[in-house]
Amino acid sequence: MALFKVENLTYYYPASAEAALRNISLEIREGEFLLLVGASGSGKSTLARVLAGLIPDFYGGKMGGRVLFKGREMRTLDRRQVAREVGMVFQDPERQLVKTQVEAEVAFGLENLGLPLPEMRRRVAEVLAFMGLEPVKGSFIAHLSGGQKQKLALASVLAMQPRVLVLDEPTSQLDPASAEEILQLVRRLNEETGLTVVLAEQRLERCLHLADRVILLARGEVVCEGRPAEVAQEIAGADPLLLPPVARFFTRLGVSPVPITVKEGRQILLGRLRPEGGPAGRPTPAPTKNSPVRGGNPAAVEMQGVWYTYPQGNEALKGVSLNLQKGEFAVILGANGAGKTTLVKQMVGLLRPDRGKVWALGKDVGRGGFKEIRGRVAYLSQNPNDYLFQDTVEGELLFTIRNLGLNERTLVDELLERLGLLKYRNANPRELSSGERQRVALASVLVARPQLIVLDEPTRGIDYRLKAELGRLLREEAEKGCTVVVVTHDVEFAAEYARQVVIMHGGEIVAEGEKHALLGNSLFYSPQMARLCRGFCEGVLTVAEAVEKLGSVIGSGSVREGVPEGERRTLWPSHGAYGLRS
Amino acid sequence: MWEKLFYREKGLFLQSLHPAAMLAYLLVFLLLCLLYENPLYLLALFFLLALLNLEAEGREAWEGFLKGGLLLVVLIMVVNSLVIRAGSTVIWSGPAVPLWGKLQVSLEALYYGATSGLRFLVLLSLFCLYNLVVSPDKLLSLLAGFAYYSVLAVVLATRFFPVVVRNLLRIKEVQELRGVDFNQGTLWERVQKYSSLYGVLLLSSLEDAMGIAESMQARAFGSGKRTLYRHHLWRPRDTICLAGSLGAFSLALWGWFHGYGRYEFYPEADVLIKDAATVGILLLVCLGLSLPLLLSKGWKRWPFLRSKI
Repeated sequence: MALFKVENLTYYYPASAEAALRNISLEIREGEFLLLVGASGSGKSTLARVLAGLIPDFYGGKMGGRVLFKGREMRTLDRRQVAREVGMVFQDPERQLVKTQVEAEVAFGLENLGLPLPEMRRRVAEVLAFMGLEPVKGSFIAHLSGGQKQKLALASVLAMQPRVLVLDEPTSQLDPASAEEILQLVRRLNEETGLTVVLAEQRLERCLHLADRVILLARGEVVCEGRPAEVAQEIAGADPLLLPPVARFFTRLGVSPVPITVKEGRQILLGRLRPEGGPAGRPTPAPTKNSPVRGGNPAAVEMQGVWYTYPQGNEALKGVSLNLQKGEFAVILGANGAGKTTLVKQMVGLLRPDRGKVWALGKDVGRGGFKEIRGRVAYLSQNPNDYLFQDTVEGELLFTIRNLGLNERTLVDELLERLGLLKYRNANPRELSSGERQRVALASVLVARPQLIVLDEPTRGIDYRLKAELGRLLREEAEKGCTVVVVTHDVEFAAEYARQVVIMHGGEIVAEGEKHALLGNSLFYSPQMARLCRGFCEGVLTVAEAVEKLGSVIGSGSVREGVPEGERRTLWPSHGAYGLRS
Repeated sequence: MWEKLFYREKGLFLQSLHPAAMLAYLLVFLLLCLLYENPLYLLALFFLLALLNLEAEGREAWEGFLKGGLLLVVLIMVVNSLVIRAGSTVIWSGPAVPLWGKLQVSLEALYYGATSGLRFLVLLSLFCLYNLVVSPDKLLSLLAGFAYYSVLAVVLATRFFPVVVRNLLRIKEVQELRGVDFNQGTLWERVQKYSSLYGVLLLSSLEDAMGIAESMQARAFGSGKRTLYRHHLWRPRDTICLAGSLGAFSLALWGWFHGYGRYEFYPEADVLIKDAATVGILLLVCLGLSLPLLLSKGWKRWPFLRSKI
């Protein structure tokens, strides 16, 4: 018998005329690892909440159809029973922890279940040890990193020993290392304890290969379901942007079945291509469309020997020097605590250096602060909600115009249209989706026609499509002569849209340069395509570049699985950069 | 800066005490502060609390409390001096005020005002110490039987205060770059600017609160009778501290009934030290209350003591 059985489920949030879920029917078996995928607003978070019993119990709204858990309708189960059987981990670690201390947080759910003290003590000890949280069990939660907080959220749910673990984009707010750790923990739980896992995610490169089964949702409906490779094939036809770059690349070349990991992709390449001899034989990365030569432009940002220590004593910048030209599109990469945010805050004058000089747009912001360049710089912080408090979307843009004393009302229409916000002009920005909120926040700073745009983690928690839209917009701004600086953990974004990459570590810039030179030679700060093509064709960072360089060799559907070996051999050139595997 | 006013786990000896022992200790301080009128006794309590706050690594927090309190101390002294006419040593006579009469300030009224101000500072220091050494989570598990929801609210406030402060600073930066100058404009204009700042903060906090509520529901909060995860070890240090607190309180009560610690301000102020017993009782009370402080010092310096308590 299926653990969950969903029959014709339709759901409307309160005061919403549009269904968030439409006529969904599915089954989830015990011990299964199910992945719910889809773009923002596809309904995967809503479905996750239905399975966790939070909809309609917590949210209200109208619900049709049935959700059965172990053969019993969920609505008839009491809340304690549901919480005991189904645990849920949410997106934002900051919004799900209640207590001030780690051990107390783990025990919170157990107290609510009314367990006896010896049982609680045993479970707390067990979970803290399993999750590696023992060393921080007495710590103040506010002092934990984002990754540790999410691990704690997971631990506090696991302590309740649920049969099903539902996770709603648990890695979207984390850096890549922490995200990987969380997903590996979930995989271990599924494999070693047989825990049923339902994971809602939109960054498929992280988790597609972990799942037993994948369900693709769009506009509240199940579009397709099946094994990861099968669904990847379906997605390739419907919405390739959802796929990880490796799968997208092979989809464009018509390879079937679509590989979903770098390892699988490389197996295909190894079967078709002979890796080049050694570094000496590798072709030099050629400048592409995305990497125009910008020499000779005046500096938009110039930093010389900048040192900065926070009042708490944390030395965040150590003698950083950086020069960004006008029209540059630079991405700053680095682990948490590397000093990325501090660096960009220095650029826009929000922080002043203890030592060293900072000039932005020709002004000494190191001495004069942000007032020197106010109105000419756009700064988007990590949280777009920081910008939204007016009653309408248009009001947000007018607020900036009014404060800066500008006369740019015509730009409001232009920006709203360009960012796809025209239909939300009179809507309350707080009622929009996360991607739309981010666009409103961006519009509210771009309306000042800035010459320097600085964004801190803009791709966090947004799907592929929104990321692509944002990247294109920023590239357009850079092409118009505006300098764009983006702080991110997203190497794929850097590879696709930036021209220059800066890597920070421990408050210092450890590498800086053109993206092909830097990301192409890196092992961990390299995009999927660079990892895929390493040894076959160097200097490839994006799907487009890979198609350009390898497409003529692999293309025309000639490498589809099942092509007879002898026939295939005749299709490959025996000279040039690529050779047949002998 | 605000974060320093709230509890943070620092691995201190004072934070390692059993919450019941620590609460009893703080309660004794509170009762003595309300009981004593002798300025010398209040001064001793203040001095002891100053040392305890420093031992709890709370210098900045304590200074913050004192700075905020000093203005009120001055206000208490001024109002008391002008309102109370019981003192016999008049040091200033002012003009007659309709319905009030002649303004005059006596030395005794000023003295009483200063002593009341001192008591207020003792209370502030005590509150500061409480914030520094009592974990809200431990307090919650101790008081859950009869004040669960109130203490849970304190826990949530403590948990989210650093988050709210961080959000506030970030939102202020964002608004400044959007052209809001918080230092310019008339008072009304500045109030409007700050109101928009707090508006963003409020909206974001409400959304955070919804998230927390959802997470609590998902973990069965409010689903029925709950139990308590109480895991506090009672160590020799707790026995010593509790004994010291109870001993000091008993002695203080005995002394108070025998006139030690009492003080008359009007019409003429008493002598501060009536006899040797006045000082003797005070020293013994202070000794009892100093035990946690002394143990904390020893705990840091002598591994032997650390292993025994």
